[in-house]
Amino acid sequence: MADILEKTNLTFEKLGVSSADQILQLFAQLQEQFDKENRDFSAVGVRNLEHSEALRLSWLGRKSGVLTRVADNWLKPATPTFKRTLGEEFNKLKKHVDSTLEEILKSPSADSEGPSIDLSLPGVVLPLGTEHLVHQTYEELFRIFGSIGFSVVEGPEIETAYYNFEALNIPEHHPARDNMDTFYIENAPGYLLRTHTSPMQARTMEKQQPPVRIVVPGKVYRRDNPDATHSFMFHQLEGLAVDTDITFCDFKGTIEYFAKEFFGPQTRVRLRPSYFPFTEPSAEFDASCHVCGGAGCRTCKQSGWIEMFGAGMVNPAVYGFVNYDAKRYSGFAFGLGVDRLAMLKYGIDDLQQFFKNDVRFLRQFP
Amino acid sequence: MKILYDWLKEFADITAPAAELPSRLSMAGVSIDSVEESAAGPVLDAEITINRPDLLAHAGVAREVAALYRVNLKPIQTKVKESSDAAAKVARVEIEAPDLCARYTARIIRGVKIQPSPEWLRQRLEALGQSSINNVVDVTNYVMLELGQPLHAFDLDKLSERRIVVRRAKPGETMRTLDGIERKLSKDMCLICDARAPVAIGGVMGGAESEISFSTRNLLIESAWFDPISVRRTSKTLGLRTEASLRFERGADIEAAAFASLRAAELIQQLAGGEALAGVVDVYPHPQSLCKIELSRKELLRVMGADVPDREVDEILAALGFAPVRVDVNRGSAGSLAAVWACTAPSWRGDVTREIDLIEEVARLYGYDKFPARLPPAKQPAARLPHAYEEARLRERLVALGYEEIVAIPLVDPERDAIFRPADTTAAVIGNPLSEDASVMRTSGATSMVSALEWNLNHGQKNVRLFEFGKVYEVRDGKPAETRTLSLGATGLAREQSIHQSAREFSFADLKGDVDQILTLAGGARWEPARMPWLASGFAAQLSLSPNGHLVIGAAGRLARSVAQRFKLRQDAYLAELRLEPLLEAIARHSAALRYEPLPRFPAVERDFSLVLSDGTTFAKIEDVVRALDIPELRRIEAVDLFRGGQIPAGKYSLLLRVTFQSETATLTESQLTDFSARIASALGEKLGTSLRA
Repeated sequence: MADILEKTNLTFEKLGVSSADQILQLFAQLQEQFDKENRDFSAVGVRNLEHSEALRLSWLGRKSGVLTRVADNWLKPATPTFKRTLGEEFNKLKKHVDSTLEEILKSPSADSEGPSIDLSLPGVVLPLGTEHLVHQTYEELFRIFGSIGFSVVEGPEIETAYYNFEALNIPEHHPARDNMDTFYIENAPGYLLRTHTSPMQARTMEKQQPPVRIVVPGKVYRRDNPDATHSFMFHQLEGLAVDTDITFCDFKGTIEYFAKEFFGPQTRVRLRPSYFPFTEPSAEFDASCHVCGGAGCRTCKQSGWIEMFGAGMVNPAVYGFVNYDAKRYSGFAFGLGVDRLAMLKYGIDDLQQFFKNDVRFLRQFP
Repeated sequence: MKILYDWLKEFADITAPAAELPSRLSMAGVSIDSVEESAAGPVLDAEITINRPDLLAHAGVAREVAALYRVNLKPIQTKVKESSDAAAKVARVEIEAPDLCARYTARIIRGVKIQPSPEWLRQRLEALGQSSINNVVDVTNYVMLELGQPLHAFDLDKLSERRIVVRRAKPGETMRTLDGIERKLSKDMCLICDARAPVAIGGVMGGAESEISFSTRNLLIESAWFDPISVRRTSKTLGLRTEASLRFERGADIEAAAFASLRAAELIQQLAGGEALAGVVDVYPHPQSLCKIELSRKELLRVMGADVPDREVDEILAALGFAPVRVDVNRGSAGSLAAVWACTAPSWRGDVTREIDLIEEVARLYGYDKFPARLPPAKQPAARLPHAYEEARLRERLVALGYEEIVAIPLVDPERDAIFRPADTTAAVIGNPLSEDASVMRTSGATSMVSALEWNLNHGQKNVRLFEFGKVYEVRDGKPAETRTLSLGATGLAREQSIHQSAREFSFADLKGDVDQILTLAGGARWEPARMPWLASGFAAQLSLSPNGHLVIGAAGRLARSVAQRFKLRQDAYLAELRLEPLLEAIARHSAALRYEPLPRFPAVERDFSLVLSDGTTFAKIEDVVRALDIPELRRIEAVDLFRGGQIPAGKYSLLLRVTFQSETATLTESQLTDFSARIASALGEKLGTSLRA
């Protein structure tokens, strides 16, 4: 039987084919050969994909497939007398081979060879790292404040007393300094670790005329003994907007926008009068508790409100330090605790976690 | 400050229940933390901002409540029976330091009987957290809590010559205060002295010698005004904070001094009997004039952005004691934009001196919630930090490589930091650290990185890869300097065991690969052997950026085992520290210079060379030799396999080198490839003495 395959290597001339009947016979033998090979594969039980691929190669392969040889050796040199019959037979066989191969792949077992995959087993995982929650929170704040025109600027952590206190209307011996117990640098006299990011207010306004609209990220330091809500280093974002037409209403709108963006659109806000030397009027900014929605819970100590940060209209005295005309310009400033915001948002009850850098903490915020 | 609700009602027609006050007061700037019941009625725990010393008194809080509810204040009346003898005949007061003490009044009461206070007084004081001492001392405290003016009662008979001299302390002077502690005094401290010696530290605490005892018969009641800065400095220096110093350092009401002691005299007469001498010895050399301030609607609108009705402005300012008077030409017409109110700041409101202060008063009592919120239009595009984009790319790449970002506190242990400190660097030292292990600013990111690895290893986290964007700090010529830095740290397994693959230790090659992946953003890096005390020798590299090769940007390597042992790290750790600014600049430059290269149209061909090399022959040398041949079709040189031992003699190693060729213009022919291979083989043999294995 296999010599039918040999015959495809020879031309009709050499095979001595002289009638249409002979042609029909040759093609019948070819189809029989193909069907046999197909059956043999099935009997061996190879996977469907291999089975169809093997048949495809030996019959349709571009270099030495049986049908390729038929086309080259029989079809091409054929005399006009046989051309028609040959063509019809060739197409018939080709169609048979194609449809058989298709059938093999269509069979229900074609895509599920072997035992099926246990989907509950893990895949191959390339470990990914994480960005620190403080950084993630900063990014969100930059996005929120960037969307309403606040540029990001940075300043030094080792500051002078002038920028950290005096230029913010906190002269030496001002009781407000009690709330900001300060680390001093021994071998750089006159320098301290900034207690807030507010020094960038004066530093920015010294260099730039209004309009000013900035946020200032960075580390700040206070000489507080560490506990669940205190750390001698934490992160702030200072905000400052100064222009000819900035009012208390703009201040309210800005921080309300922030609160709704950060905690969700259902957030309500309120301002309580307060005191800071560098703002006037000053306010403590509260947001409705995002946990209970204002009904009262553990997070908000049953008050329905959460204290967010201090803020207010820039005290005109501050403009005196940067040669702004206080009669012409007005503005607002705020200083929010970034770690605290993250603690509130994610229900973290221990500030120290942020700086221990235990990977089990870090990986909770992918 | 604790406030008794019932006491408040003595000063104003308050009808609102105690439970309602916290929320109303909070929204006007007096934060109430809690309301608790006591024997003397409900107690409100108020947080008083430091600008409002007048609220450290019941009368002051009552005024605030009255203004809030628009109810009347009740006048405070005192009835004192004075004897015909004048106080001035009995006692003398001299102020030698008027800059520290602007007013001193002394009232004399003779023939008192010191005894325990009656129940009502004890209850009130105790409800406010004060312990009861005796009737006279309790009265001075009571009046302070009532009116805000600290008083001090001296035993008149213990004051030498019945004289009060207010002066600065002399060098080396000491005195024993009421609490029994011998205090070292220094100049600039304000002392109250008798003819002989100090009897009190002005505004802070009385002395033990002249203290009221059960045998005291005659009293001198001091009611004075001390300079806030001086009191604050003194109390800080002595570490002695008292109810009196708290009030004086925030600014007491100088006009209230005489009245407060009159009120005390009234109560003392009621509770301890005795005879109040006529008048008060009052030394007040430069009476202060009250501050006149105008509030205009124009300015109110400019700052607040929304209006407050005339009637509200009038009522609020009047209720707070500012005696507003409309002085503009349009007075009489409501809501005039030209409206101006002339005000006089009462003596108890030293915090109000400017128009903005009045605006705040009006706004907070009118209610911050009544001002509408709106967003100001932005006039400029919002800018990110310089190189924020480059930093984000670095960060995302580190995260993709499996590194977790950490944030460390830069205050570190000086001994630890010294291990990683670059030569010729002086750390910024904290003069007043909280603890020794947080007393310098770190000079290297590695200080924190190793601590973070240590923490994780000690908490069962053995496979850790970390990075930090931070700063290092130093002092140069007495000035601080901060430099941004990127630190990497890794230890444990690079790949953990799973059903798909086996575990693999993190190695130097992992560090190198990771660092190279990052530095590709900047065009790649050169690794050169380096010596660093904290990195293992032979496993330490200095990194410079490839394009110019001279810009050293950091170091990388394996933590020296001696250092690892100090930190009790029981596994190898790998570290890298890169200067961030030059790196970010290089990334920006490199990205800006990126240009498209057409994809090759002709196939690439690989040829492998199996080399046997002497130890010490670096891959870089091999690369150099091959590249020196200047074969334009050379595309890539890779080390595919490396091994030692087996058939390879000692001192040698075998390297499988793979070289890729590709032409831009044609498919390479077999003869070209044979020629390339031959040239490479002979060059390697000639230059490096390499033998080619079959």
